[in-house]
Formats: sequence, C-alpha cells, structure tokens
Amino acid sequence: MDKDLKILIVDDFSTMRRIIKNLLRDLGFSNTSEADDGQTALPMLKTGKFEFLVTDWNMPGMDGLTLLKSVRADPNLCNLPVLMVTAEAKRNQIVIAAEAGVNGYVVKPFTAVTLKEKIEKIFERLEK
Amino acid sequence: MSSEEKPEVADSSYLTEAYMKRLQSLTEAVDSKDEGKISDIVGELTTLRESSLYQELGMLTREIHDAISTFGNDERIAQLATEDIPDAKERLNFIVTKTDEAAHRTMTAAEETMVVMDKFSGEADSIRKRWAQFRNRELSKDEFIVLSDEITQFFESVESESATVNSKMTEIMLAQDYQDITGQMIKQVVTMVKEVEEKLVRLVAISGLGDPLPAKPKKASKVSDGEISEGPQLPTADKEVVASSQGDVDDLLASLGF
Repeated sequence: MDKDLKILIVDDFSTMRRIIKNLLRDLGFSNTSEADDGQTALPMLKTGKFEFLVTDWNMPGMDGLTLLKSVRADPNLCNLPVLMVTAEAKRNQIVIAAEAGVNGYVVKPFTAVTLKEKIEKIFERLEK
Repeated sequence: MSSEEKPEVADSSYLTEAYMKRLQSLTEAVDSKDEGKISDIVGELTTLRESSLYQELGMLTREIHDAISTFGNDERIAQLATEDIPDAKERLNFIVTKTDEAAHRTMTAAEETMVVMDKFSGEADSIRKRWAQFRNRELSKDEFIVLSDEITQFFESVESESATVNSKMTEIMLAQDYQDITGQMIKQVVTMVKEVEEKLVRLVAISGLGDPLPAKPKKASKVSDGEISEGPQLPTADKEVVASSQGDVDDLLASLGF
C-alpha cells in the first residue's frame, strides 16, 4: 500500500479529526488534510487529487451520506475509495451507505486496530 | 329547602325518591288517561334530568378550571421556562466546550510525548548498533570516542526528557478534571429534564386526552428510511434496529456482499 496516499479526513469535531489523523499517522499515512463538513470537503476533493476519503456521517452543512453520493455522481471522483467513520449505527443506515457505494464502514467508538483493518481491506479489494 | 328538592339534583340515578314519586304519578295519570297531568309530569321529569346533567357539567367545568388555574399559577413553570431551561442550555454548551478542551489538551500532551519517545528510540537504535560493532571489535578508536560522547549525551537527554514526559503525563491526568464538573452539571440538567417531564405529563392529563401517555407516535417515514443521520445510539437501543458493535456492522456488510 502506498504510504504517501493523499487522504482527506472529514468530521465536524476537531477532536475526532485529530484522533483519526494521529491513528493514520501511526499506520504510516502522513499525507492527510482535514475538512469540517461535506461542503468544505467537496471542492477540496475536486481540486486536491485525493486518493482516499475518510468521512463522518452526521455533520452540519453537507452530511457524509450526501458527500458520498456527490462523490459517486462526479465522473472524476466516482472511483475514490470512501471509508465512513460514524456514530450512525442503525442497520438501515448501514444498508443505505452500502447502497450509496461506501467502501468501508466503521462505527464510533472504534479502535486503532479496526481502522487499520478496514483501510487494509479496502485497498486489498481495490488492488485485486 | 324541602327534603324533596335537595337530593333530586345532586343524584343522577333514576332511582331517587323524586323520580319514583313522579313515575308513580305518571302511571296513575296514564291509567286515568289525564293527558294534561301526563304532560305536566313528563315535563317535570325532563327538568329533573336536565338539572342533574347541568350540575355535573358544572362540576366538571369547575374541576378543569381549577386544574388549569393551579397549573397556570405554578410559578415553578415560569421559572423553568425563563431560568432553568436557558441555564441548562448554557450548562450543556459549557460541557461541550470543556470536553473539547480536555480532549485537545490530552492529545497535545500525548503527541508531544510521542515525539520524545520517537527521539529516544532513534538514538537508542543508533547507539545499540555501534555498541554491537564495538563488541565485535569493528569500531575504530576515533569512532569509539564519538560513540562514547553520544552515549553520555543520550543519558543526559533521557534524564531531562524523562522529566518532560512525566510532566506531559501529569498534564494528561489533570486534563481529566472536566469529568467531575461536567458530571455534576449533567446531573443537574437531568434533574431539570425530569421535572419538566412531570409537568408535561400533568398538562397532558389536564387537557383530558384520556390516556395521559399515549403510545409513541411512529417516526416520520423520512427518518425511518435511514437517510437522516441520527447520531450515536445508546448501547441499550433496540438490537433489531441498531448494529451494536463493529462485528454486527461487518456481518451486515458481509451479507450485502462486502
């Protein structure tokens, strides 16, 4: 896996962004940027050549599901791998995220091991 | 007031003396085919029935009026609306700020500690490699002098940086002080919410909707289709609806072909 992968972390809570950023750095990914909701994230994604998106669901402005759908609808971004890290744990929500084309789903609170596993699984599948 | 009049309005039963007496006279009047008397007695019976109805209606009205005016005069409600609820909002906002600060304080201290530990580990690794070379007699005299200096510096740095790490750990511990104050505040807000709940239940009871706590209304369909984020679920939430662990999420996704 390319450790220089350009990653965008989207969460409205700066503490959560910081935690994810630190965990990613521990996993060897240091090339990360942050956005506090979908509205901020989408223009960054369009111009920033990001290779991986980690997003929360529940955010003011544009939520994570809408961001995911916008990414899938954009011909330049539609293949971007997306990991959702969220407190939304209802079964039907997970199904909806899956249908919207999410690549991985982590429920908060999560551990470093879970995050690592999901990221590895996503890229394993993409490399096949 | 005659003994005849007094009980007849207060009692809604048809078996009171007042009714019985008139019913008897009515039978007699029917037997004697006295139409004028029949009409009079029927009129009396109707009045009798209406007056007891009005009496009851009056009593009900009084009860409702009393209940509403006691409710309205409850100063506590005004206080809840104008003081306690705004106060609770402020407390909750304070808790958000406090926990946010604590999280950042803790993370800053942890990050700074990691930097020190990374430095230690790098230096120790470099020294260990050359120490192994020295023990294998692979190090020149000049190289050994450099190594020896570095070892001295390393010891000094461990000593001073350990103090830094220690103070960062203390910082992390102190940052947890939010728990005490926010815990107390949350308890205050919970007490207030409980009080508001009791008042609301009373209001529903007064409004006479029968069942004081009607069944939970179904959530709007927009919510139940899962499009809307609802935030964290309690661990005690409905297991059918909520995936309680990452394992559950993985199973569900696996069943969808992930």
